[in-house]
Amino acid sequence: MSHTPLPSDGPLRPHTYDGIEEFDHRLPNWWLFTLYGAIVFSVLYWILGFQMELASTPEEALLETMRENQLAAARNSGEVSDPILWKLSRETQTIEAGRATFAALCASCHQPDLGGGIGPNLKDTVWIHGGQPIQIHALITRGVLEKGMPTWGPVLGQNKITEVTAFILSHHPAP
Amino acid sequence: MNSASTSKIRIEFNDRVVRQFVTASIFWGIVGMLVGVLVATQLATWQANFNLPWLTFGRLRPLHTNAVIFAFVGNMMFAGIYYSTQRLVKARLASDVLSALHFWGWQFIILAAAITLPLGLSRGKEYAELIWPLNIAVAVVWVVFGLNFFWTLARRREPSLYVAIWFYIATILTVAILYIVNHLSIPTSWTHSYPVFGGVQDALVQWWYGHNAVAFFLTTPILGIMYYFLPKAAGRPVYSYRLSIIHFWSLVFLYIWAGPHHLLNTSLPNWLQSLGILFSLMLWAPSWGGMLNGLLTLRGAWQKLRQDPVLKFFAAGVTFYGMATFEGPLMSIKSVNALAHYSDWIVAHVHSGALGWNGFMAAGMFYWLAPRLWNRPLHSTALANMHFWLGLVGILLYVAAMYVSGITQGLMLSATRDSGTVLANPNFLDAVTSTRYLMHLRALGGTLYLAGFFLLAWNLFRTARGAEPVNGSVECLEPAAASSGAGVFSAPVVYTVLLIVAVLVWGAGRGVVAGMGFCALLAILLTALTHQQASGARWQDWYERLLENSLPFSILTAVAVLIGGVVQILPTVLINRAESLEGVRQIPYTPLELAGRDIYVREGCYNCHSQQIRTLVGDVLRYGEFSKIGESIYDHPYQWGSKRTGPDLAREGGRYPSLWHYQHMHDPRQISPGSTMPNYPWLFTQRTDFAALPKKISVQRRLGVPYPEKPDAEILADAKAQAGALVAELQPGGVQIAGDREILALIAYLQKLGRSEPVAKTAEAH
Repeated sequence: MSHTPLPSDGPLRPHTYDGIEEFDHRLPNWWLFTLYGAIVFSVLYWILGFQMELASTPEEALLETMRENQLAAARNSGEVSDPILWKLSRETQTIEAGRATFAALCASCHQPDLGGGIGPNLKDTVWIHGGQPIQIHALITRGVLEKGMPTWGPVLGQNKITEVTAFILSHHPAP
Repeated sequence: MNSASTSKIRIEFNDRVVRQFVTASIFWGIVGMLVGVLVATQLATWQANFNLPWLTFGRLRPLHTNAVIFAFVGNMMFAGIYYSTQRLVKARLASDVLSALHFWGWQFIILAAAITLPLGLSRGKEYAELIWPLNIAVAVVWVVFGLNFFWTLARRREPSLYVAIWFYIATILTVAILYIVNHLSIPTSWTHSYPVFGGVQDALVQWWYGHNAVAFFLTTPILGIMYYFLPKAAGRPVYSYRLSIIHFWSLVFLYIWAGPHHLLNTSLPNWLQSLGILFSLMLWAPSWGGMLNGLLTLRGAWQKLRQDPVLKFFAAGVTFYGMATFEGPLMSIKSVNALAHYSDWIVAHVHSGALGWNGFMAAGMFYWLAPRLWNRPLHSTALANMHFWLGLVGILLYVAAMYVSGITQGLMLSATRDSGTVLANPNFLDAVTSTRYLMHLRALGGTLYLAGFFLLAWNLFRTARGAEPVNGSVECLEPAAASSGAGVFSAPVVYTVLLIVAVLVWGAGRGVVAGMGFCALLAILLTALTHQQASGARWQDWYERLLENSLPFSILTAVAVLIGGVVQILPTVLINRAESLEGVRQIPYTPLELAGRDIYVREGCYNCHSQQIRTLVGDVLRYGEFSKIGESIYDHPYQWGSKRTGPDLAREGGRYPSLWHYQHMHDPRQISPGSTMPNYPWLFTQRTDFAALPKKISVQRRLGVPYPEKPDAEILADAKAQAGALVAELQPGGVQIAGDREILALIAYLQKLGRSEPVAKTAEAH
């Protein structure tokens, strides 16, 4: 195959294949640096990380992070009590926030009107696991696994559970 | 030349089979992309599942992936390999019978796949879904292909092998190894089997295969095709021969190790995860070597891009290859992977490879070939240019939508508040609804790309219609026999093998053994260099001799490819599963649960739901304790999944009442407003295949799952009793259902997920 030579063209290799010719340019330095750099990095990483066991395992790292997070959260947490929850259950903003969470996650079993379906009715006066605000709050937090009520604590967190509790209480007369 | 002294002969090439493969590739490409547009639409609009089993996403997505990989790119690759090889080695394909067998055998497999996959006949492993009789057919046709190819090489009149041929050799050998190992299974019927590997072993083998299906089915053959068609179309010499050598050998050696980067932050042992990361990083330069040799070959030909659609497609295709192979190592970094994995980012990545690299290289090759195969100028250059721009805009829309969607999903699902102890978006559906509009945009991008391919089909049809097909030919000297076996025991081959052994001892051993390996490595290196100095031999002389001998070349290629697989897979496959790792062991499924699991696999649930909780804060808060190796050790096939269109299910068992699942499978939106999951009404009318259970359980027992020996009647009675109990459990919720319906088996399985028993911790394999 004939081609118009460029000024930067080097010598061609003597052999052609079905008319295809080949230069033998030297490789770009940045490319060689990338290749060798990655190899050197990998060998060092392997020796330091594994043969000398300097890095912690992913499991250890995860558990450490989660423990630190728990401590930080405990420091920042607010308190809940029966009077606080009753008070919040009369506040429109809290009730509306609780209603939204309830509609998204709880209504599939308890129905949007709290009438009960797969899960029990929440607007009557029958409380299977205790009807004090703090008891309701605790129940949502830990769930009742044998009855199919999920553990919402790690999913929703204390503030959202407080809102949902307030929303449920808003269907009941305050003492 | 002096025709007086040597006799000249004219060889006519077998271009008929090339024309057949080109036609088949375009046809199946359009089918595969049409299915792609349909599944993309289903993710935007659940109604597009039509409440029909054979049209649901879970069954069609495997059809889409198999069709574009094996039917579209497969046929394209065979066309390119057969066309270029005949010319590069100056020989007609060795056997017309094998060529025809190859073509028709492959089309038969594709047709069978297009029927069996929508029927739900699936092995439940990605890109390896086809049932076992078809696996055997694929292996046989691949051997036919290999025989035809190597036989042609043996009859070549061009002694030296061009770089394209190196890539073809690597492709044929490696795909054969990968395919066979990952498809080892024991049948339970003519259409069903269980893979021999389970849990983490199956995951590792699957991604060793899956990653290298990308490497050796979608990359190396296309690089070979690039090395032939791109310099031809540009009329320029290849940029650098030595770059070809370095990037070929580093690519085939390194690629095979990178599979575990599909399993980062999972319960896969940490040393394998790290090898996956490191080898992915090292792959960056070798991959870019291919891109550079392609793009730099275009030096002095760039002005031709203005008119020539072929070069446009090639230049863009190679550029997409470069982008995707830069992105790959990036995504293999663990912290990037934590964000990207299970999200649409992966979808963006594979489509910039599949649409940009494979699709555009295919289009460029077809436009270049058509006038030469049918001996007539291309019907319309303008249409081909229009195809290019439609396709390019389509790809950009597609990947932009998926990048935005993927990063949104990754950020939303991992976001926490309250010092990282609580999820910021507890409802998984928030991530689904936030990215819904992007699903529409993606479907639009895909449609534009498909429209471009329709233009190609029309253009080539008009070119070929009424034209006289023509077979190429070459005049050459006769005879010029090629050697094949010499040089197997030459000094460099021996030193290479010794070096590899030393590195393996160093890398895998601990303490003194590792030290000895390192010393041996240095000693061999010094000896080899001294020997070379003393003998005055030059590497390039040896390499050029190697290129004239296909046997040692193929052996070295196979060795380079095999090392990674041996080092990564053998230790994991050989561990004793009974001494389950990490303190927990899965409780084997009851007969009914096993039946439910087979339904889960049949419906392709793994296409949207993972079963693996990663060692990441967001995962643990959302789904519970991170997954341990022992918890899926008896899963044949493993179902860890690779995408979370819906939430993870690793600990789904007991999370909700059975009534929840019953209503959810019937109409997901009744329970989860905004869900995109299809309805599964047929599970409420179809009967569970109880009769198949005894055979299935005996196969599971042979695979090492600890099922006690039980008479068939007892197994059936067990299954029916558990279904009966489930019926009774559902009754208070107002459900009336017969005990033999599939939904009960599926619920039984879902309620079992995550159930394991504690066992004494044993010494863990490092």
